[in-house]
Amino acid sequence: MELVINRLSKTYPNGVQALKDVTLTIPTGMFGLLGPNGAGKSTLMRTLATLQDADSGSARMGDIDILRDKDAVRRQLGYLPQEFGVYPKVSARDMLNHLAALKGLSDKKQRALVVDALLKQTNLFDVKDKALGGFSGGMRQRFGIAQALLGNPKLIIVDEPTAGLDPEERVRFHNLLAEIGEQVIVVLSTHIVSDVSDLCPNMAIINKGEVLLTGKPDELTRALNGRLWATSVPRTELGAAKLEYPVISTRLISGQTRIHVIGDTQPGPTFKAVVPELEDTYFAAIGGFLGAKASAPAVAESAVA
Amino acid sequence: MFKNIALFEFKSRISRLSTWVYFLGFFAIAMLWIAAAGGLFKEANISFGSGKVFVNSPFALAQTVSFLGMFGLIVMAAVMGRAVQQDAEYRSHHFFFTSPISKFDYLGGRFAGAFAVLLVIFASIGLGAWLATLLPGMDTERLGSNQWSAYLWPYALVLLPNALLVGCVFFVIAALTKKMLPVYIGSVLFLIGYLISLQLLRDIDNKTVASLIDPFGTTAISRIAEYWTVADRNTRLIPLEGVLLWNRLLWLSVGVLVAIFGFWRFSFAGFASERAAGKTGKLEDTDRNALSKPASPVAPATIRPAGLALLPHLVWLNLRETIKNIYFGVLVFAGVLFLIFASTTLGARFGTNTWPVTYQMTDLLGGTFTLFMLIIIAFYAGELVWRERDNRLDQIIDAAPVPTWLPVLSKLLALMLVPVLLQFLLMLCGMTIQAFKGYFDFEIGLYLQELGLQLLEYWLLCALAIAIHSAVNQKYLGHFVMIVYYIVISFASGLGFEHNLYKYGAIPPATYSDMNGFGHFLPRVFAFQAYWTAAALLLTVVAYLLWTRGTVSGWRERLVMARGRFKGGAVAVSVVSVLAFAGLGGFIFYNTNILNRYLNSHDREQRQVDYEKKYKALSAAPQPRITAVSLKTDLYPSEQRVRMVGSYRLKNKNALPVTEVWLGFAQDELIFHRLEFDPPAQLVENNEKLGVRRYKLNAPMTPGAEATLHFDLERATHGFTNAGSNTQVVYNGSFINGRNILPAIGYQEDAELARDQDRKKYGLAPKERMRDRDDPEGLQSNYLSRDSDWIDFETIVGTEEDQIAIAPGYLQKEWKEGGRRYFSYKMDVPILNFFAYQSARYAVKKDQWRDVPIEVYYQPGHEYNLDRMIAATKASLEYFSNAFGPYQHKQFRILEFPRYASFAQAFPNTIPYSESIGFIARVREADEKDIDYPYYVTAHEAAHQWWAHQVMGGNVQGGTLLSETLAQYSALMVMKQKYGEAKMQKFLAYEMDQYLAGRAFEQKKELPLARVENQPYIHYRKGSVVMYALQDYIGEDNVNRALKAMIQEYAYKGPPYPNATVFLKHIRAVTPPHLQYVIDDMFENIILFDNRTTKATYKELPDGKFEVTMKITAKKRKADKLGKEDDVPLADWIDIGVLDDKGVPIFLEKRKIEQEENVITVVVDRKPAKAGIDPLNKLIDRRPRDNAIAVEKG
Repeated sequence: MELVINRLSKTYPNGVQALKDVTLTIPTGMFGLLGPNGAGKSTLMRTLATLQDADSGSARMGDIDILRDKDAVRRQLGYLPQEFGVYPKVSARDMLNHLAALKGLSDKKQRALVVDALLKQTNLFDVKDKALGGFSGGMRQRFGIAQALLGNPKLIIVDEPTAGLDPEERVRFHNLLAEIGEQVIVVLSTHIVSDVSDLCPNMAIINKGEVLLTGKPDELTRALNGRLWATSVPRTELGAAKLEYPVISTRLISGQTRIHVIGDTQPGPTFKAVVPELEDTYFAAIGGFLGAKASAPAVAESAVA
Repeated sequence: MFKNIALFEFKSRISRLSTWVYFLGFFAIAMLWIAAAGGLFKEANISFGSGKVFVNSPFALAQTVSFLGMFGLIVMAAVMGRAVQQDAEYRSHHFFFTSPISKFDYLGGRFAGAFAVLLVIFASIGLGAWLATLLPGMDTERLGSNQWSAYLWPYALVLLPNALLVGCVFFVIAALTKKMLPVYIGSVLFLIGYLISLQLLRDIDNKTVASLIDPFGTTAISRIAEYWTVADRNTRLIPLEGVLLWNRLLWLSVGVLVAIFGFWRFSFAGFASERAAGKTGKLEDTDRNALSKPASPVAPATIRPAGLALLPHLVWLNLRETIKNIYFGVLVFAGVLFLIFASTTLGARFGTNTWPVTYQMTDLLGGTFTLFMLIIIAFYAGELVWRERDNRLDQIIDAAPVPTWLPVLSKLLALMLVPVLLQFLLMLCGMTIQAFKGYFDFEIGLYLQELGLQLLEYWLLCALAIAIHSAVNQKYLGHFVMIVYYIVISFASGLGFEHNLYKYGAIPPATYSDMNGFGHFLPRVFAFQAYWTAAALLLTVVAYLLWTRGTVSGWRERLVMARGRFKGGAVAVSVVSVLAFAGLGGFIFYNTNILNRYLNSHDREQRQVDYEKKYKALSAAPQPRITAVSLKTDLYPSEQRVRMVGSYRLKNKNALPVTEVWLGFAQDELIFHRLEFDPPAQLVENNEKLGVRRYKLNAPMTPGAEATLHFDLERATHGFTNAGSNTQVVYNGSFINGRNILPAIGYQEDAELARDQDRKKYGLAPKERMRDRDDPEGLQSNYLSRDSDWIDFETIVGTEEDQIAIAPGYLQKEWKEGGRRYFSYKMDVPILNFFAYQSARYAVKKDQWRDVPIEVYYQPGHEYNLDRMIAATKASLEYFSNAFGPYQHKQFRILEFPRYASFAQAFPNTIPYSESIGFIARVREADEKDIDYPYYVTAHEAAHQWWAHQVMGGNVQGGTLLSETLAQYSALMVMKQKYGEAKMQKFLAYEMDQYLAGRAFEQKKELPLARVENQPYIHYRKGSVVMYALQDYIGEDNVNRALKAMIQEYAYKGPPYPNATVFLKHIRAVTPPHLQYVIDDMFENIILFDNRTTKATYKELPDGKFEVTMKITAKKRKADKLGKEDDVPLADWIDIGVLDDKGVPIFLEKRKIEQEENVITVVVDRKPAKAGIDPLNKLIDRRPRDNAIAVEKG
């Protein structure tokens, strides 16, 4: 099954165009939607999760028209929003049980089994009777995943799930996601490049409501092979360097600013060729050096990682 | 820093839309209110007690500002609570708490900023009121000059202190709990304080407590201004003194204490910490220690899309979250508290309770308590609608595969269960109170019916609240919209919108009576209930269509979404409910406007105006008078139908011939089976709209000639009406006055529009209420009937087989015919043209005074006070026949009628007596406060057999003195005989209170007692006080002697009828010269005293006696017609008294007081407790309690 998004557009009443002609094909497995904050990721995710309407365009999952037949989508949907709360005084099991009922697990016994299984899967079984208010960020996110898995969804949407988790929590959370992302479509939006590079066989980079690049992470990375150069400049010369070269990223390393520059040939004697990473692709894309907007004049933007 | 924070709060709030919605809301309501009271709209009928009170007078503005300010509670909760709670909700507290600001800067700044916003919002009330006074088209006579102080003072006195108090409390609650719900609950508690104070007011002794308890100060203001006359209200600013001062101090200090407490308890750390964590700490993450995790496959589960099956589960969850917290408990507690307090003054008259019968308990919950329910419903609707969003769970829930109607419906149903629970609790509470009061006839069925009917209305509110919250989509604004709805609905009638068809949730009330049950009321209730239920269904569809699911931005998107949802079931439900709404609406309209004639107040006034304009000129045309009435009246109680067949004997008592006869009909929808003159006459004009028929006599009636008018008239009841209903002929307990059906002859001056302000609206010149006391033309008629004098009366009355029907006269015969029961009554002496029929399934208690049988016809179960009534009857007949002259009838009957009206009325030998004014009274003999009002009412009505039915006053000023005031006097004497002077003082305190309070509601002008223009507060209330004092001054025997002489001179006399001049002549004849001035003061002028004792000391004399020295101040004032007062010189005989510790006088003597300040020394035998001037409150005095004060040892 595939999720096919075709020319999806959305403009908010305040004039912000959150989605511009977004076209994507998302196969089974983990799909990373990478973009800076405000790129339109959440709008897209909410639209896919039936929580928001688009102005034009279409989105289909198999036979289902996501924009029209919302109920059919919801029956196959697991959704972990970017930010969510809980009833602080309700226990994890009760809450999950309630959500399971909403998802249509109408048989009480079956529901209890599913709930317990999910609590085990997300390692929350030991605290199942504890109030959700006492959960740490990681536990809460895992609870979020547990509820998203209720009812064997075919489409799982997780919006910025790792934001706010500590590195250890993030690793464990990745494991959990990797586990479930095998038979179903999992759309994961994030602004953290390693989330995508660690987890997703397919991905898209999105900025200002537009899809800039789409493909497999290593292929996208390879596109920069031989075109990426790096050098260090003193901070005082950074501005000049940015004017002179198509700088895609700058980073401070031991007090020196290391810049990555894109170019078919070595831009200057101090530059050394670098093996590109996904991050470079990401910066190049949102900097306008790659993908749909690559032809645009190379106005260097400083993207600070 | 403080300034920055305050400014920031102020700026961010002032730029918000909601702030201006509040502002505009109050602005519009204040403006509309004042404009309506100021006569801008013809349809409107609003005034501040009296139409003579200027709408921009200090009093009116104080009322407006404080009343609307009370509704501002909701806004205060939103603004003050949110000022600090929003930091918790938006998690913005981190920014503030990590800044180098002090607790004081943060809290104080937020408070100040929010408070400033409140000031801006509430300024709209004064502004709206002021602008309304400038509108063109306002009635200039209702406007005084605008004074800034009058606008600003209510803010200083009421609104600002309230905002401070309430603001402090709400702010602190929000700061400490970080939640808004407790803030709302706080506002409900404030409201309960107010409601309790209203209930307590019913007992005169509670007035001070009630004034203090009301946190808003409105009761205290009422207390301060309760005796203010129209002139006072127009000129005086409410002084900050007495109970009002104490109230303000009390509640402001509560506010300050709460603020201090809040400041002490509040800590940044506590506020920032998560609540649950505050107690338990964060749980340790179970994952940290987990080994590499085996994938535990999730069991496959069958998915069935959630639908109806899930509804009970969701309803239960929603309900549980609503009630399973301390706040709901607090609410219940508040409700119970209200009930307990209110039950202490249950049904109180003269501070004496009724038995706690079930309908009294349920009435308690149906009146002011609905406001409490409304607020709870509005709050919880907001909580329920916003629950997921408040907990930031909405995205997860919204993405679940449940149909959108499911959350809407489950929340609505959960909300509807809240009043169910409360009603049930209140029922239990009510029964507990009944049991505590020793009353065990719980009538659970009646509880269920009454509370059930209320519940249905609450459910309508639930649907409305959910729809409003869904549509408004802004929680606090939603609450405000609900409050606006409530205000608008409450005052719609006053603005001329009277039809219940366009007032959502308006259901005409059903009055339960022990005699008649719910009678004929229920079909109408159910029709309107069904009609509004259809509307509620529609509202629920609207709630569904506009329900926020997912992220919607802007109205356009919401409407698109709504259009998308409008299909399938939504369409079906809409169609069905629109059809039902239209169908039921049509059915109701057919009943209220087609089967019955619908007239709103404006239409009725217009009819009066038309009548006056068209027919006033005819009032001079000579008309015959009725000399005998003979009737066969058939009552059909179960059909609510009555038919009167009979005749008037007419006589031309004029000096001129009568050529035309005018018949006037008060009743709208009469069926005229026959209307014929003998000798014959031609109908030349028939104005059905105004109820006038003009007949031209074939041959003029010469002076002294006689004629007969035959009639056969029927009044049936068809369907139901919008308001009011036929409570005259009912299933059980009919009570119908003959004049309601039968024609009146000639022009009816009483039908004219009376109030000058109304007359002005319709372009009529102001008119005097009554003719001058000695106007000879006025004296040609009595004030009950202008078309007849003393008549002969006989009647047959038929009713259903199991009922007894009664009319004035003596039973001649009783028989059954065609399954009906007939009674024939005949009167053997002439009576006034004033008779009524009653019919019910009565039980009868019989007794006898001398050879006069006494019968009480009552509803079985209402035996409580029969003995009192009979005892009062005996005592009255005995006293009156000795003092005034013989009782003219051979029988005395009291007949109960349902509580659709609460009065007793004296017809010849027959006293209809409402079930609500004595039959269920609970007079505890042992309680020194309780007043035996069944005894009093009975004695009063018995006295009317002399004062009205023997001596009848003319239709002039002072006419009712001869009936009502003298009946009061007579009743007082009978009561005094039984209960003694001390008890009379308690009773008279109520009478004085009602007289003084009544002056404020004077619509035209206050008159001296001897010129009373049928003003109840004068002829009853002032009459009691004055007559009691009179007999104290000149002696009971002398008064009786004068009255006896008057009876001898005027019994059954008229025309010309006697007047107050005659009465005064007789009284003056028995009054010694030095007290003649008292007659002037009491009857010819409006005199008030301001007597007080400032110091009283005693010293023990060597002979064991006590010398008491009092410093007293006396003031005498004379008031004009609007209550403007001037000092008049003193030369008055006033009681100087010393009382013992039981309040019994040990010294009482009238001394001539000739100056304001006096020092008086007397010697008494026993140890004094209190002493002073007029210690027993015989004279009219606004502050009776400072007359005598405690005596200190000097």
